[in-house]
Amino acid sequence: MNRAESSTSRNYMITRTVRVLSEAAGLLRAPQRVIPLFSKLVSDELRTTFEHRHLYSYAAETIPRADALRSVVGWILDAQRPDGGVAAYYSLLTGYSESYPEVTGYIIPTLYDFDRLTGDPAARHAAYLATDWLLSLQMPSGAFPGGLRGRDSDNQPSVFNAGQILQGLIRAHAETKNAEILKCAVAAGDWLAAIQQADGSWTGLAVYQGTAHTYYSMVSWALAQLAAESKDPGHSAAADRNIDWVLAHVQPSGWIDGINLRGHPAYLHFIAYVIQGLLECGILRPREDAIQAAGKSAWVLLRKFETHKRLLGTYQPDFKGGHRFSCLTGNAQMSCVWLRLFEVTGDLRYLNAALKMNEMLKQLLPSKGRRGVLGGVAGSHPIWGKYQPIRFISWGCKFLADALMLEERLTRQVETKLEASECA
Amino acid sequence: MRVVILCSSPYSETGCAVAARVAQLGYVPVGALTLPSWDRGTLLRKLGQWGLRGSLHYAIAKLVPGKATNRERVLNSYLERSLRYGDGFFRGLREVGRAYAFPVVTCGDQNSPGAVAQLKKWSPDLAIFTGGNILRSEVLKVPRLGVLNSHLALLPEIRGMSSPEWSLLCGFPLGITTHFMDGGIDTGPILLRREFASVDDCDSLTDLRNRMIAEGIELLAEAVVGLDRGAVSAVPQAERETDRQFFVMHEQLKEVATRRLKNGRLNSVAGRCDG
Repeated sequence: MNRAESSTSRNYMITRTVRVLSEAAGLLRAPQRVIPLFSKLVSDELRTTFEHRHLYSYAAETIPRADALRSVVGWILDAQRPDGGVAAYYSLLTGYSESYPEVTGYIIPTLYDFDRLTGDPAARHAAYLATDWLLSLQMPSGAFPGGLRGRDSDNQPSVFNAGQILQGLIRAHAETKNAEILKCAVAAGDWLAAIQQADGSWTGLAVYQGTAHTYYSMVSWALAQLAAESKDPGHSAAADRNIDWVLAHVQPSGWIDGINLRGHPAYLHFIAYVIQGLLECGILRPREDAIQAAGKSAWVLLRKFETHKRLLGTYQPDFKGGHRFSCLTGNAQMSCVWLRLFEVTGDLRYLNAALKMNEMLKQLLPSKGRRGVLGGVAGSHPIWGKYQPIRFISWGCKFLADALMLEERLTRQVETKLEASECA
Repeated sequence: MRVVILCSSPYSETGCAVAARVAQLGYVPVGALTLPSWDRGTLLRKLGQWGLRGSLHYAIAKLVPGKATNRERVLNSYLERSLRYGDGFFRGLREVGRAYAFPVVTCGDQNSPGAVAQLKKWSPDLAIFTGGNILRSEVLKVPRLGVLNSHLALLPEIRGMSSPEWSLLCGFPLGITTHFMDGGIDTGPILLRREFASVDDCDSLTDLRNRMIAEGIELLAEAVVGLDRGAVSAVPQAERETDRQFFVMHEQLKEVATRRLKNGRLNSVAGRCDG
């Protein structure tokens, strides 16, 4: 390890220690959180001790989908802060975090989807508030800031956040037809295209840790969505360039290299981001090579899930082992990926795996507890796992809600096709 | 021909029926190797799979047959022919072993060194797998001819779990395949393949499975006789471009498969199965 690396590693350890101590101190400020914390720790310990997974696990519905969906979206609505932004997490130590622009952005499509499915005006209203707040954050360059509001790199533009927020703006425009929103979305897209490297990646100050990451395929998905609205070839070309760069990292095993997170293992959340971005961008552009690559990677994880009835919280290159906790967000994302692959390929095995994954995730939702806990998706299972420990996270709720709504739509589709064939 | 039976539990009806059927044909097993009946994992899995009521029903039928009606003593009624013994039915592998004078040995894992040593001691020509662990090569290479398995679908189209249900859902013809096992899941060379003809009479997936299990045992018996007489030979499965492995089907999809079974609509409409 050279001097620069050892200094980075030392800084990381110091930051991490400070974070852990300040989170722990949160419990002193709000001792009423001791009971939910204790109860969650005990229930997760009991579950991990006595849980017996086998090939037949999660093959039957034990919790109605609609109830779980209401409860997860209820968590998101509760997490919306007075400024309109959605908190990143509810910590059992420190309570709700500040508003998080990135998640607030890509939660918007989820809120609109929920409104369409259930006719719940609260979700639509929450999406309006979130959009207004995001528009107020846009920088003159068209970029959006990184980190939590009032913390971290508040004024630092962020490629990834801009991409995720772009998804929300595009959907908000589609729903409201507000030209101002599209203008802001185009400005964000132009900024993303302008600072993209010639090879299709993003690097530099506006990128996490300054290095290129393949999970920024989520950004190219947003650009592909924008291209469909703006009809600007610059946006579609930027999306294609990034996808080409991501595809250059695909390994024969299905593993996609280049997550490049210094100081962190490759969490399932990021692996799933790479696959999801690649798949969705492939569907929109349309690019068979991207869909195939995403499908290959997703199939490896499907086999692992079906065989062990769990996915690891992290994986090493070529999916060779990792940490044994569950990264629930990554699980929900994989469910979304499998459902979309079912939609694209018609292969029922993807739908089958997603039904079981959703069942597992529904069973882990707290069915009682205070605001911030009830209906929340924990960062890890057990909650002390390495990814976002002792927290319920808003992006976990977003992906689970997406997965449940996709499941609803696609299972209905299978039924309809069946009925049509019976009538024929 | 020296035959060994590999079984998932001493109370497995399928295991008993296979052992009894091959014995009836004159191929009395030289031994049977079974997993224990009180294995914690199996019990929990069965509880999850059958529910408390179904599991209790099974336990009563097997352990306290006096409490069960005559009809309930054999849960899969299509196996009655193979399981009938005198005035009653075989309840467990040990009863079959006593009747035909072969030893039944329990092991915690069919791949364990102890299990492999026991198999070698029997020096079988053929082993018949009726359930248990995924077998490793150390076990697979012990029998001279190999380890036979009966798979409830036509190979190589549908491999893995819930195979009759997947055949229904994907619009493949229902069928049974007898094949030798290798390191993969249902990828070994095929001996016999037969389409299942009595679909129209089935009123539920359980009924369908039970009938197919019974027919699968007959196909296994045919394969044993055929191998002994040199009348059948194994054909390697064709390489497939796509992965044909299927996994346990979710109840929601099983409902769709049930409707397809009842409506007799067995062409593929609901979706494809060729990722």
